[in-house]
Amino acid sequence: MGGSIASVARPAQTIARQTSEVDFALIGHQESWRAAADVLAVLRGPEHAPLPNDEIRDILPWIPPRAVCHVEVGSIARAQARGLYIDSFIPPDRLEAAYVHENIARVRGAAACAIKAGAKIVSLGGFSSILIEGNFDQLPERHDTVFTTGNSLTVGFIVRGIKKMCALEGRDLRRSTLLIVGATGDVGSGCARCLAPLVKRVLLSARNLERLRRLAEELHADGVEVEIATDLVEKGRQQFSAEADLVICAASLASPSLLLDRIAPDAIVCDAGYPKNLSPSAPMPGAKVFFGGLGQITGGLSFAPDFRGVLNRHPFPDVVHGCLLEGMALALERRFEPFSQGRGFITPGRVAEIETIAARHGIYLAPLYNASGPVENVLHRRPNGREDECILFDAAT
Amino acid sequence: METLIGLNCSTVECNSLSPSAPIWQDVLAQAMTGELIAAMNYTSLSEICDDPEEVADALEHAQIERGHAARFAAEGRKIGVDVPNNVDARHWKRLREAFMGCVTERDFIGCLIVQEIMLESFAVASYARVAKVAPGSLGQTFASIAAEEEEHVDHAMSILRAERALDVQRFDDKVYRLHLDVMTTLAKMLAKECKDGHCEVCHGSCVKPSLFDVSLSAAELRGVSLQQYLKTLDLLGIPGEVTLTWVAQLPV
Repeated sequence: MGGSIASVARPAQTIARQTSEVDFALIGHQESWRAAADVLAVLRGPEHAPLPNDEIRDILPWIPPRAVCHVEVGSIARAQARGLYIDSFIPPDRLEAAYVHENIARVRGAAACAIKAGAKIVSLGGFSSILIEGNFDQLPERHDTVFTTGNSLTVGFIVRGIKKMCALEGRDLRRSTLLIVGATGDVGSGCARCLAPLVKRVLLSARNLERLRRLAEELHADGVEVEIATDLVEKGRQQFSAEADLVICAASLASPSLLLDRIAPDAIVCDAGYPKNLSPSAPMPGAKVFFGGLGQITGGLSFAPDFRGVLNRHPFPDVVHGCLLEGMALALERRFEPFSQGRGFITPGRVAEIETIAARHGIYLAPLYNASGPVENVLHRRPNGREDECILFDAAT
Repeated sequence: METLIGLNCSTVECNSLSPSAPIWQDVLAQAMTGELIAAMNYTSLSEICDDPEEVADALEHAQIERGHAARFAAEGRKIGVDVPNNVDARHWKRLREAFMGCVTERDFIGCLIVQEIMLESFAVASYARVAKVAPGSLGQTFASIAAEEEEHVDHAMSILRAERALDVQRFDDKVYRLHLDVMTTLAKMLAKECKDGHCEVCHGSCVKPSLFDVSLSAAELRGVSLQQYLKTLDLLGIPGEVTLTWVAQLPV
């Protein structure tokens, strides 16, 4: 860090203003200290040395929720939408239940920023939607702003990712046993409803037994074979009677105790958590892991200041989490409505509807990747129509 | 600039038996120095006010700040310590010079920005934090002075918002220019370690490492102060993404 007055005492800068309308706002937070450090490094600019890690950990928790940058998204249908990325500045190590009230206050503060900016639609990214899932009364008075959890499009991309991975691996979805961890959450239950009719058997895992039973009854009624468990392993004994060969991790927290070594050795695992549910060192030799719920914008995406690859840290350009893409897609469609409102509302029909809207504007499933890199030999579509082949990484993890 | 009460570290008395008294002595010394700087600033402000009502207001504020300084001194006596002050200490002197730069230019709005938005944000937030952990009447005094300082800020906000409405760009550029000077100095004062040598207010070695002994920390005081500053700028209407960049670029 510079530290000297001279290092910051340059001529007064002219504050760049964007007076245009705000169609959408994206509320998010950083999933790791590394990501937070990168955001602060961009804000400090190249003329200031990056902050040391201990200073970042000391400073970030005190930053009030606020806009970080302007976002502009384009559509293949020639629509354009302008928005803001607002960070709630939830510290990456404070996502546990102990901080829930503090974090709700942060999300409320971020929502207030979105309303003040005049955003017509707000996507609640990552932990933000979980905190106020199905309880929109906790948001500030909304005026003309509507909120969506964005989870319908996330579910859509998870389901598409599972289907694509099965096709790549030559698996028959109809013979598969699907395990969903975090099954009663908005995303987990949505995935269950979409995929249960397509697989042989479904195993649901979540902490709340009562919600698990309700979801299982709902799926049973549609003729699906379902088992439930509040933990994957209890007292050393595996709780489910069958090994899963398809797994969706949609828990709200990173869960080192998921004990996924009990799944089929060559299982396909979709880590759809934010932050990621699985650590890169999770003991799953042979499993085919990919990060789910991600979409790619092909009509153009820009940030001011330039946070490309910082706010969206993926090995492919213009990849964004589905929950945030939902707000952008609805803004491009000029459909300012609370499309995803929380637990229990995500149905296959609603997922198909938001996917259709997204596709109309060139927002598709992102190329699949995991911590080691891309899991497929992808031809990446460029907005200009060119296709650039990405480097093929070893898919095995 | 005058030194209102001479500082001589070797003669500063600490007769208290409490092991935390020397820590509170330094905390009080910083607070008292800040209040005396504020009193001097308001007195100087009165000299460039045209409206007699504004002159009276500024002088009244100066008197209030002197009263705060006296209350901090009294709290020191209660715990058996003399509370020193040094308005010529390196950082405080620079803050005073920044304010006097506005006075020289007869920039009333600039003076309000420095004193009410920047220095008072620091005072309100840090006093409120100290009040949570300081024992007995010491804590009550910090809490009550924090509340009074907050009222000052509220009073100035309406004037500053009206000024900003006249020319947003010009106003925000002015705030940024003053931010670079004043907040850089404050950020150095609030850094976890005093990297530029002794602050010339603490009566012995730097108090910052000892703050943990009274459930405080330099990082926390910096955090609450910068948070209050950002919130105050939000209330002025300056875009959050702009002020975030300003604060992110401060020294640590």
